Amino acid sequence: MSILRTEQIETRYENHTVFKNLDLSVKAGSITTIIGPNGCGKSTLLKTIGRILKQKHGKVYLQEEDLNSIPTKEIAKRLSLLPQHPTAPGELSVEELVTYGRYPHRKNINKLTTEDKETIEWAMDMTNTSVFRTRSIGTLSGGQKQKVWLAMALAQNTDILLLDEPTTYLDMAHQLEVLQIVETLNREYQCSIVMVLHDINHAARFSHEIVAMKKGEIMATGKPIDIINETVLRDVFEIQARVMIDPHNGAPVCYGYEPLNIKTLQRTHG
Amino acid sequence: MSNYSKAPYRWSLAIILLLTITIVWISLMNGTYELTIQEVFRSLFRIEANPDHDLVIFDFRLPRIVLAGLVGFSLGIAGAVLQGITRNGLADPGILGINAGAGAAIVLFMFFFQSQLDLSHWFTIMIQPLFGLIGGLAAASIILIFSLKNGSLDSQRLLLTGIAIGSGFGALALYLSLKMKAADFEMATVWISGSIYNANWVFIASMLPWLLFLVPIIYKKASMLDYFQLEEESMKSLGIVVDREKIVLLLASIGLVSASVSVSGSIGFIGLMSPHIAKRLVGIHHKQVIPICGAIGMFLVITSDFIAKTVFAPVEIPVGIVISIIGVPYFLYLLMKEKA
Repeated sequence: MSILRTEQIETRYENHTVFKNLDLSVKAGSITTIIGPNGCGKSTLLKTIGRILKQKHGKVYLQEEDLNSIPTKEIAKRLSLLPQHPTAPGELSVEELVTYGRYPHRKNINKLTTEDKETIEWAMDMTNTSVFRTRSIGTLSGGQKQKVWLAMALAQNTDILLLDEPTTYLDMAHQLEVLQIVETLNREYQCSIVMVLHDINHAARFSHEIVAMKKGEIMATGKPIDIINETVLRDVFEIQARVMIDPHNGAPVCYGYEPLNIKTLQRTHG
Repeated sequence: MSNYSKAPYRWSLAIILLLTITIVWISLMNGTYELTIQEVFRSLFRIEANPDHDLVIFDFRLPRIVLAGLVGFSLGIAGAVLQGITRNGLADPGILGINAGAGAAIVLFMFFFQSQLDLSHWFTIMIQPLFGLIGGLAAASIILIFSLKNGSLDSQRLLLTGIAIGSGFGALALYLSLKMKAADFEMATVWISGSIYNANWVFIASMLPWLLFLVPIIYKKASMLDYFQLEEESMKSLGIVVDREKIVLLLASIGLVSASVSVSGSIGFIGLMSPHIAKRLVGIHHKQVIPICGAIGMFLVITSDFIAKTVFAPVEIPVGIVISIIGVPYFLYLLMKEKA
């Protein structure tokens, strides 16, 4: 069963159409990663299925229900989205920001229920952020901040989590930590995840399903082993990649690449 | 979410209220007819009624002070709301063109009816805020239409169109006042530059219902203003109907501003300064910021009005001018700080 599905959607900014007639299906309980060059529409796609942007045409189905027909607060109980550049006032404390994530569940905005409190604790434990719960956002490093934002999204306690480039700007250790949290969420809490990543190797290692996009079109979808190869990388990113299989975990790894020059492009396409 | 500190809030509120009471007392004592502390006390608390003192206090001085307080309270709160929903620390009812819209509508009202209606008549005064509201709403709807982008409200456009619409309505008001009879013109000009010299209890009665209706709505929505400190995508992801919340808060603040403009003319800068001072005092939680903003606005307008009527006594300067004299340097200071 697909937990999220789009049917012939078209999204545009002002007069610029990002994609049209786009069909995508996300399997329940999987980690799906959208990859593709800058400007290919992957963030726009994520925002459209997360109802941040409204599509001009077509339909988005959340658990086989038309997304348009569900009240936004109800959606927020089933799906949370972490944007690429979230902002919060520097004076806000970590715990308060995580508490914001309870918004869709709260009936009384001035009082937290036991369930609220437990979920907040769980979200902070999952993301290893409870140690700096009292600190203000402004004093945190980029990596710490990202984990706090992730905690806020987790506090929404949803079945689906959408992440827009959750590892961009983070150091290697923090990138891995964020992705491992995502993996744990998926494995232990059956959370379905759709994310946008730039790092192909991370996508290969942590995803069940990869969606490769280029210029507003889905070029290929499938398991990492079927997608991360010389042909797809050349078609999607216009690079000549060298790919091998990591003996440690069986995931494909791109260990080097060169820009594809015009001549080779012409040669390969006859 | 109530684990943040309440001590700075209580202290700030207590100190501002104490300062306000002090300035009120001084205002009650000073003027052409000087009163002592004891005389004010005796008259105010009905210990020993003296008809002369009563006249000075209850008919001349107190209505003016109460009106100044209410206007300041409304503008301070409206400013906090507008800065919140536009996510711009330089937003102010004046900058947004709401003042000008309400002002133009009231000048229009004066222009057509003034010679037939008595200004001190209660009906005229009661109807005036309604005209102000119509003007403020007209300005706001024009601004809203122009700031819609992809079907949702763009905060930057909101500010820019606000400035443009504001000057348009300002010009309209000026043009109308130039067409008036000499006596009406003078009244209109004084009123446009923001003045409460002709305050009376009816003015207060005309303004009070708006406050009693709108301030509780805003206070109830105060925690929503906290969420407005996140960027739009995060708010939407939390399941907040951002545009609806914006419009409710915007309408409530337009109502407050229009009611103020209708009794005091266009007083700027209060809505700009109060939130900044308030946030410096109590931080970023709007359940605390909103009441403090109201208190600071109240204090600022009462103090400014006291300065307006005493510094060049017996000549008075409009209170709006006094506030501008304080407000302009503060605005420039904020601009400089924003750049740094």
